Amino acid sequence: MTIRIVSLKVNGVGKALMAEPGTTLLGALREHLGLMGAKRGCAQGACGSCTVLLDGEPVVSCLVPAVTVDGASVGTVEGLADGQRLSDVQQAFLDGFATQCGFCTPGMIMSAEALLERNADPTDEEINEAISGNVCRCTGYEPIVSAIRTAAAVRRAASPARSREAQV
Amino acid sequence: MLTEVHVPDGTAAVVGLMATGARVLAGGTSLMPSLNDHASPETELISLRRAGLGGIRVDGGVVRLGAAATLSRIERDARLAVLRPVVRSIASVPVRTLATAGGNLFARRPHGDLTVALVALDARVTLADSGGTHELPVEDLLAGTAPPALVTEIVFGLPAAGSFRYLKASRRRFNSASLVTVAATVTEVDGVVSAARVALGGVGPGVVRAVAVERALIGSPLDVPAVRRAAEAGLGEISPADDAYASAWYRARVFPVHLRRALLGH
Repeated sequence: MTIRIVSLKVNGVGKALMAEPGTTLLGALREHLGLMGAKRGCAQGACGSCTVLLDGEPVVSCLVPAVTVDGASVGTVEGLADGQRLSDVQQAFLDGFATQCGFCTPGMIMSAEALLERNADPTDEEINEAISGNVCRCTGYEPIVSAIRTAAAVRRAASPARSREAQV
Repeated sequence: MLTEVHVPDGTAAVVGLMATGARVLAGGTSLMPSLNDHASPETELISLRRAGLGGIRVDGGVVRLGAAATLSRIERDARLAVLRPVVRSIASVPVRTLATAGGNLFARRPHGDLTVALVALDARVTLADSGGTHELPVEDLLAGTAPPALVTEIVFGLPAAGSFRYLKASRRRFNSASLVTVAATVTEVDGVVSAARVALGGVGPGVVRAVAVERALIGSPLDVPAVRRAAEAGLGEISPADDAYASAWYRARVFPVHLRRALLGH
């Protein structure tokens, strides 16, 4: 068994860790780097609670061996807030009580971030598709969809130029 | 339990490692769930992430999908609009970022909807082994009789406008396995079907090439009576099974409905 040094840029900061073959990206974040936002739910890629951004794209980090993504950029829920100031998506989840127990929330938020990065004005169907891999066992989907819709509107209002750009 | 994960550069290195008994890891969306179980057998993997197989080329109407081209990349490629409904019917967004075209060829029932489409598109695969490379129809690869080799590329011609049809029936709108998947390429001349290639998913141990359906369609206008006759013929070549999504009885019951919706749009 080979232990390898894996370098990642996590939330914009360079990190390195010693990974065993069985260390997943999720394990690297939680157990090596102490970032507990992404959750281990099913370990099957089915619940979405471990969703993070890998080179800007949402992935279920439980299915990614860490050694295969050496050199990649990773975005997690911990990287969204600016100090005490929550991101627009986080604030909308908080204001709309879209969290309930909170276990699915980091994955939901990262899926929402990935959606809004590509689509500034998503329809409800597009929101449903974006979070179709994120399971909320509190079944609080309505406030979650509503929070994502709200965050999209807030983001468009804050940056009309950016929204137009994203729609092109 | 994972004992080693190789991340080689280039296909020659992958092929060399395959000879040692290590298993190929493409997107990992089928393989990793079983390996995340601590009771899994000792396994050595060869990741395709740096093997240079993630590209997509379209040249003169011929599409070449690298075996490690991800489903999200296919979904966003404007040249592959014909496959967009297929890809969007598969799994969830964060799974599609990882899942690959090549991996889909090996997905087990009731998954593998892209493969259903590829059979309907008469796609071929390029295989690499220690002796070099060779091509094989996807259908022959699925038959499982070819010796083990690395799929490096999937090749198919873009269908004529309006000739490709696809419909996947599932329990939810998104991220749900197939109850019945229908993919077909139908050519009509003067209002009569002159050629048809129909593949089905979710209703057999693997992808079903529905030759009886094709025979029933060819030579008739594509209308309700012809599709009904084709569905009756198709019932003889499907062998659905019970699973967590639906019973075999239900799949057989709704197959004619979904065949009609796929071919006629209503």
